[in-house]
Amino acid sequence: MSVVIAKNLTKKYNDFVAVDHINFQIEKGEIFGLLGPNGAGKTTTIKMLTGLTSITEGDALIGGISIKERPNEVKKRIGWISSEVIVDDDLTAWENIEIQAKLLKVKDWKERADAILEYFGIKEFKNRKAGKFSTGMRKKLEITMALLNSPEIVFMDEPTIGLDVNTRASLWNLIRQINKDYSATILLTTHYMEEADMLCKKIGIINKGKIVALGSPEELKEKYGGDVIEIELKDGLNVELNKFGQVIRKDGKISVKTGNAEEVLLGVINTIGSNNIKSLRIKKSSLDTVFLNLTGGSLEEEGEFDLRKFNMMMRRARR
Amino acid sequence: MLEGLSALYMREIKRIYRSIYMWIMLVSQPVMWIIFFGSSFSHVPSEFLQEFFHTNNYIAFILPGELSVSMLFVGMFSSMSIIQDKRFGYMKRIFITPVPKYYVFLSKVLGGVTRGLIQVPIMLAVAIALGVSLNLNLVSIVVLVLALAFLGIGFSSLYSVFTLWTSDWQAPGVIANLINLPLMFSSTALFPKAFFPEWLQDISNVNPITYSAELGREVLLSTDPNWSYLGILALFALIMVIIGALLSRKYMTAE
Ligand SMILES: Nc1ncnc2c1ncn2[C@@H]1O[C@H](COP(=O)(O)OP(=O)(O)O)[C@@H](O)[C@H]1O
Ligand SMILES: [Mg+2]
Repeated sequence: MSVVIAKNLTKKYNDFVAVDHINFQIEKGEIFGLLGPNGAGKTTTIKMLTGLTSITEGDALIGGISIKERPNEVKKRIGWISSEVIVDDDLTAWENIEIQAKLLKVKDWKERADAILEYFGIKEFKNRKAGKFSTGMRKKLEITMALLNSPEIVFMDEPTIGLDVNTRASLWNLIRQINKDYSATILLTTHYMEEADMLCKKIGIINKGKIVALGSPEELKEKYGGDVIEIELKDGLNVELNKFGQVIRKDGKISVKTGNAEEVLLGVINTIGSNNIKSLRIKKSSLDTVFLNLTGGSLEEEGEFDLRKFNMMMRRARR
Repeated sequence: MLEGLSALYMREIKRIYRSIYMWIMLVSQPVMWIIFFGSSFSHVPSEFLQEFFHTNNYIAFILPGELSVSMLFVGMFSSMSIIQDKRFGYMKRIFITPVPKYYVFLSKVLGGVTRGLIQVPIMLAVAIALGVSLNLNLVSIVVLVLALAFLGIGFSSLYSVFTLWTSDWQAPGVIANLINLPLMFSSTALFPKAFFPEWLQDISNVNPITYSAELGREVLLSTDPNWSYLGILALFALIMVIIGALLSRKYMTAE
């Protein structure tokens, strides 16, 4: 049975459609990724699935229960990890866990909490104030809290946003581990295509509130992939390249979508004339080129991560 | 069933008693009031004090008044605590659990009231140290604490209601500006009713602070207490907390 079934899930803020009739299913034990640039509607989708915001149209079944009709039943069965790491810094790790357990009405939470803390290697710090934890430890604490009620599904909103490369890599491992060792079904959102590629069994690509493609990373690459040759010409030049593949012009760059870049590369360079090229880059088939092929946009560019804004948010969250 | 409420309430309490700044505030604020404001009538002839204040020590007069006024100020902390939880995202963490929203509201109200009541023993001790003779016994203490608790529940609810749907840091200050001064000066917390023009007397008659201040005076300075005041204060608390609980179920936002 599917753990999550979203049916025409829609959210409007006044007239603005943030999430537009999306449909997807998540099977038990799966890591499902919602991949899309900033503003695509990922957070809004999670908010609807967790009952944090009202649903304008459609519904979702979580463990077979309608979030619209019985939100409190659903809330008992889910785990949630925010992108900004929300724990109470003035309380100890253990007190944070205790509140969560009591709000969720989890019985025997102490044993379970101890076991998970032990598993994460932070049990000895459980009586330390959460405000004194490192970012990695705070994430682990938050994941502990999310696993307390043996949830049917754990929602992770941009779990690795703002983390340095090392912490990100270890968090990837952690997510894989809890998926295996705690048989946790996970929905994560991300705008890092390599993250979705590496972690997720199934991916929904979301853009402007719509799911534009759904499938395993391999399926998506096979279906929508293909290499892209990105060329910047010297000023004022224009060249017809349509015979090599589909051409997209944007921000002064020309992208040529083609099955295999190496096969046509020489032809492209000869057509343009090598001294007319300012820069040339080959993007091998990846989820990024899948996204480009599907939407004409780039995950990287449109998903440009605003570090300054994020740091401000983190500072606010941590005081 | 109340486990969720008590977990949220204990969180409020821990955050209060672990903060050294909170203690500095809790102790210094009422002490300053009593010492500075309370001393401002020291050279007033004692016949005058007797006639208008029914005591020869202004500090004795102001003590129950200032305790009542401080229950007005704790309302501000309840609402600030709500804003803080929204700003730091903690409210989302709460709302993602099945705990009813009015529990959150109640925990903020009760947290604020508890904070205000911590001031009671501090203030009484300061007053006694300054030579005020108080009629302290089980009944007078229970009545005083009940009256202040009712008043605090009423005002904390009022404040919290105004911050149910906002996360603006400015909101509690604005509410304080709008209601604290008028309520404080239109009550008999600081001055007797005989000082007031008629229109102010009318307001003071419907101001809950008046009832708490008067009842506090009656029990502490050993005149015959007017028990109906306790009923009026209980009614005020009940009405405000019910309104707040109902509104929070519908309108409380997570951010
Ligand atoms: N409370 C809100 N009111 C109005 N618009 C909103 C609100 N929250 C989000 N949006 C808009 O909805 C769109 C999707 O936002 P969001 O789900 O946060 O995107 P993502 O998480 O994919 O970056 C954005 O354009 C955003 O500006
Ligand atoms: Mg988001």
